[in-house]
Amino acid sequence: MRSLSKKKGDMYYAVMLTIPALVLALLFIFIPIVDSVIKSFQEYKVRNIIAGLPGEWNDFENYKNIFISGSLPTAIANTFTFVVIVILCQFILGMALALVLNSNVRFARFFRSIMMTPWVVPTVISALIWMWLFQPQYGLVKYFVQLFSGGEVTDFAMLNNPDTALMGVSIAALWKQIPLMTLLLLAGLQNVPQDILEAATIDGAGSLRKFFSITLPYLSPVVKVSISMSIIENFKQFPLFWTMTGGGPDGATTNLAILSYREAFVSMNMGSGAAVTTIWMALMIITIGVYNKLFRTQDMS
Amino acid sequence: MNIKTGRILSLILRYMILAVIILFLLFPIYWMLATSFKTNMEAYQYPPTFYPDEPSVSAYISLFTQNNQFFVYYVNNFIVSGITAIVCTLAAVITGYAIARFNIRWTVIVASLLVFTQMFPIVSRMISLYGLMSDIGLINTRTGLVLAISAAQIPFCATLMSSFFRNVPKEIEEAAYVDGAGRNRILFSVITPLVKPGMLAVGIYAFLQTWDDYLHAATLIQSDNLRTLSIGISLRYLGELSYDWSLINAISVIGTVPMVLVFFFFQKYMIKGLVAGAVKG
Repeated sequence: MRSLSKKKGDMYYAVMLTIPALVLALLFIFIPIVDSVIKSFQEYKVRNIIAGLPGEWNDFENYKNIFISGSLPTAIANTFTFVVIVILCQFILGMALALVLNSNVRFARFFRSIMMTPWVVPTVISALIWMWLFQPQYGLVKYFVQLFSGGEVTDFAMLNNPDTALMGVSIAALWKQIPLMTLLLLAGLQNVPQDILEAATIDGAGSLRKFFSITLPYLSPVVKVSISMSIIENFKQFPLFWTMTGGGPDGATTNLAILSYREAFVSMNMGSGAAVTTIWMALMIITIGVYNKLFRTQDMS
Repeated sequence: MNIKTGRILSLILRYMILAVIILFLLFPIYWMLATSFKTNMEAYQYPPTFYPDEPSVSAYISLFTQNNQFFVYYVNNFIVSGITAIVCTLAAVITGYAIARFNIRWTVIVASLLVFTQMFPIVSRMISLYGLMSDIGLINTRTGLVLAISAAQIPFCATLMSSFFRNVPKEIEEAAYVDGAGRNRILFSVITPLVKPGMLAVGIYAFLQTWDDYLHAATLIQSDNLRTLSIGISLRYLGELSYDWSLINAISVIGTVPMVLVFFFFQKYMIKGLVAGAVKG
């Protein structure tokens, strides 16, 4: 009898404990999201907010405009390019650093600790640090490019050139994100059984073979989680772009975050901004879904 | 002989990888420090000097005397980040406990809803919150800012916290129950003290994330005296055409120092927390 009432009590208690977080999520996440999806189908601008007027249905006008002007397809391409570049480089460099720190190099503990520094630097400040390095007249990177090209390239301006600007922002993103990736991979490397690695060495397996047949499969759960965290983060990246390039030059670094912010809060056309974010959310959910599916089938083979 | 050269080569390769990546990660920090101690004249020298010729604190002095609106943003950032960290930790404790301990349909749904919230971009919420919060008078207030940021942080914090609660043996709770302790007593006086390291990890995580916030403050705060660090810096110090780069680097140093201190002081807990959240969570 007591156990039955305890079970029921447990249930009420669990529901009660989750209420505060749920109410906050409902008020500040779910309701606004639904509301912004609705607004994406409406004529809704800043005067609607000031005058308190409700939005009006406008026959997909917001969606049509961002497609026809070409701004949406460009922003989608920029977003995906950025995500792919950053995650590939981040994974390769993070993995290299983690493997080195996990081997018997000297001062591994010390390096593991100080390498985390970029991760705690606020995003806007990391943008400033890299803007200064890339500065077109007095920047250090310009100086090095001039030095190593034998004085041939004297006007290297990473962020002012539409061909290299996205690369410049990606470098800043990599700089900030490699530490966390390395830390998580290092933690995962602790779970790789040493005795299996030793047995493989005795059987004559080379380092590459050991890495791909033993280390990587044992790491795969960690890899899966850390890459999906990274996809979400880079898909949403805003402050780095906004501070470093503002989406320019010539739209070369306008990703979905910049486009939606500019539509909604610079042009003050909330409906249009909401149309961008609605497509953006859909793309993000599809990407994560596809990613999870790919990874699952790989796990089984 | 062959094996020996191979071993030496692999050792050299390892140290080279280490040196290159560590240099990439740490040199920009050095460059920020070095520039902040240059005079603005020297910062604008080309080719650049690799360390300050005449080390000078003029950028810091100008920051403290003429450009001290920075410290308004700085203090605001401490207030907002501190309160948010406390709110998030408290919410994470009760929510995380419910998710970890009560395996009923409700908590399973809550857990997956919380994970789902991570998919939504901030701009998308802000488009609507901008209007909604004006309606309820929370726009341009610290309370509104803290609530909006907390709502965004709590899901990850709660998930992280639940992984700490899972590590507490269930027997402890059952023993307390047999002894006649009530549910609140069990949670707050018996179990919570055991997950203090987790609370620290969650609190610091929320603090670091809030310190880094840009978009919430950019849209929800309008008056200069309530602005937080990131948005304050970019609106006030990056607007002009000619940047004062030694001042900007001094600002960067001061804006980063608290984070570095917090992180290195609590490193043990932080790393454990991050790893628990991502690897086991």
